[in-house]
Amino acid sequence: MAIIETLQHDIRLVDVTLRDGEQTAGVVFARHEKTRIATLLDEIGVPAIEAGYPALCEHELETVKAIAEAGLDLEVGAFCRAREEDVEAAARAGVCSVLISISTSDAHLQRAFGKPREWALERMSKAARLAKRLGMRFTASAEDASRTDLDFLRQYYEQGLAEGADRVRYCDSLGVDHAFGIFDRIKQLKAELTVPIELHMHNDFGMATANVMSGLRAGADGVAVSIAGLGERTGNSSLEEVVMSLKYLYGRDLCMDTKRFREIVEYVAAASSRAVPVWKTIVGTNVFAHESGIHVDGVIKNPQNYEVFSPEEVGLERQLVVGKHSGSHTILYKFKEFGIELSQEESSEILTMAREMAVDLKRALFDKELMYVYRDYQQKKARDARLE
Amino acid sequence: MSAEAAQSPKAQITQRIRIDDTTLRDGEQTAGVVFANDEKLHIARLLAGLGIDQIEAGIPAMGGDEKKAIADIVQLGLPLSVLAWNRAIVGDIQHSIDCGVDAVAISISASDIHIQNKLRKSRQWVLDSVSKSAEFAKKHDLYVSVNAEDASRADMDYLVQFAQTAKAAGADRVRFCDTVGVLDPFATYERVKRLRDEVGIDIEMHTHNDFGMATANAIAGAMAGSSYINTTVNGLGERAGNAVLEEFVMALKYIFGIDLGMKTARFREVCEYVANASNRPIPTWKPITGANLFVYESEGRAGGVLRDPTTYEMFAPGDVGLQRRFVFGKYSGPSVLRQKLRQYGRELDEVQVPELVSDLREKSIALKRALFDEEVIQEYEDLRRLGVNLWRS
Repeated sequence: MAIIETLQHDIRLVDVTLRDGEQTAGVVFARHEKTRIATLLDEIGVPAIEAGYPALCEHELETVKAIAEAGLDLEVGAFCRAREEDVEAAARAGVCSVLISISTSDAHLQRAFGKPREWALERMSKAARLAKRLGMRFTASAEDASRTDLDFLRQYYEQGLAEGADRVRYCDSLGVDHAFGIFDRIKQLKAELTVPIELHMHNDFGMATANVMSGLRAGADGVAVSIAGLGERTGNSSLEEVVMSLKYLYGRDLCMDTKRFREIVEYVAAASSRAVPVWKTIVGTNVFAHESGIHVDGVIKNPQNYEVFSPEEVGLERQLVVGKHSGSHTILYKFKEFGIELSQEESSEILTMAREMAVDLKRALFDKELMYVYRDYQQKKARDARLE
Repeated sequence: MSAEAAQSPKAQITQRIRIDDTTLRDGEQTAGVVFANDEKLHIARLLAGLGIDQIEAGIPAMGGDEKKAIADIVQLGLPLSVLAWNRAIVGDIQHSIDCGVDAVAISISASDIHIQNKLRKSRQWVLDSVSKSAEFAKKHDLYVSVNAEDASRADMDYLVQFAQTAKAAGADRVRFCDTVGVLDPFATYERVKRLRDEVGIDIEMHTHNDFGMATANAIAGAMAGSSYINTTVNGLGERAGNAVLEEFVMALKYIFGIDLGMKTARFREVCEYVANASNRPIPTWKPITGANLFVYESEGRAGGVLRDPTTYEMFAPGDVGLQRRFVFGKYSGPSVLRQKLRQYGRELDEVQVPELVSDLREKSIALKRALFDEEVIQEYEDLRRLGVNLWRS
């Protein structure tokens, strides 16, 4: 059993690495990096991106413009607050679509801005009309949607549709939705709305991707993702997790060039000065590293025992690591790779020595070190033989 | 079942939830990670300090140092249950008894994929092993958890039979292991609910994060009636790791309103210790304990938080041992600037704010990072000097 549910409806991804990703405290991409990331996303088959926030400053506007004019296949959109000057800046950047974003929760509207709900509707409508007049498509985005009264959220989305929105976005800006909660909310929205709904989930409690999947189960039509989940605070649902989950858990292949995931994640990691942890889901170098005796034995017999997809599919390699938890099968297997056939007895004696060394060094052993252990073992054996 | 037909469970978590932390077992089992025995003892103490109910201290059957570390942890006499991990082999359990633990996990695969491709045995052989080993452990007055490895890929009818066998042998609970991390919350709920309803034994959740859903799945398990959750600090564990202790505890508290009474203000400290001992630094963006979580740069977020932290914060930074900070970067605006100037006792004419904001943004773009406070103040001083000079000339 690999597929737990089949999702058949159209699902559209929009990557927001260049906007929400860059908005992460401390992260700034150079213009060259932004255009490179856009190109990479285009090459692997991502259909749409949010290229940036043109109203921020001239430099950003020019960068977004460069991406819009790069001749990419993907749709280049830009982020706007629900303000006319933001929409004008996006038009100057030459993008074909904009995200028009405003908070819809009372927590934000009343407590942070001291404004009534109607204010959000008016602001969105004004910005939307200008976008239309300037020949751009738009998405009406509800910030803090997860804490928004559902009736008002529906009203906001309906008004967006009436203004001509292509789609509407549901933002779990604080990452406080849970799998069953988001399911119910999206289901209720879908029951009465004809406009496509796009999910934008944050990872504050580590549940962004699970929430995306629940939203999609409830019929949501799209997902905003970012590479390696880069985004404010804990980040967003990650491109890699969403694409691979859809493919392997929900039988839905978005036909992306996933073999380049590791490469792209590495590029963004370097550009954002945030190293990829070895245990990073899908693309971490440790994801296909097996050490414990039981796991290695299982993987050697059949990778399916502990792997759902092969490492090559995301640009990684399988590693069998020798450490404290290794078993004698690993030793046999490793030495076979080195062209040395060990007996069962030899392998268990080498295992004991290797384990002691790993405990002593407080880490796993490199292949080279394993060979040193082998040499030590042979010398010891020769010595013992002489003594006899 | 189509997506349209799916219903979300309306379940509430009413049972008492206990945490069984496996940082010392599954955490250490991570490829490349080795804890020193001293570190193991210290982590056990830290976990007790947080208020954890049970720890999985290691694998006695590995012998040597590992066995000694587990016995030493038992000797600490901490106010928690110490559980040891075992294969479903009587010899393994004897090693656990030697260590003096009060609880054992007895683990064996429940999926046909594993039974056929890994164990190369029959389903019946697995059931017999469960009976034999659980009965042996019960005879020695141990608390017994029977772990169904790869339960997520097991045939459900067989899994029920597996759990019934464990129960009949006297097991106290069954651990549901999503060994390869392939479930989502709906699928988890459905399976665990059925197991709980049909077998009537305590269930423990052990979830892996291969597709990023470990914590959400652990919560779904709790909603389906599981009373034990197997977590690790930082989510340390094989491959992409396990359900994260900090995430689970905080999600339960702030999303579901269930307070497990843990000393969460010590999370950052505990996470840092485990990060150092495992040589895996905490990424700045790590949920709950990442150093960057309460750092605000963008105008929208910073402005909101300065007016009222609850606009963007579900809990206060002090609740997890972190601090709130503001930094000026590419996405910053007047709110962060005014906060910085206030913080350093500087004053600025409102008409000069846009100019300084624009200067600082340019600087941040040029440096490809957020600015240090000193750089912000320097820019302010430069602008002021320039302004004074202009006025004089």
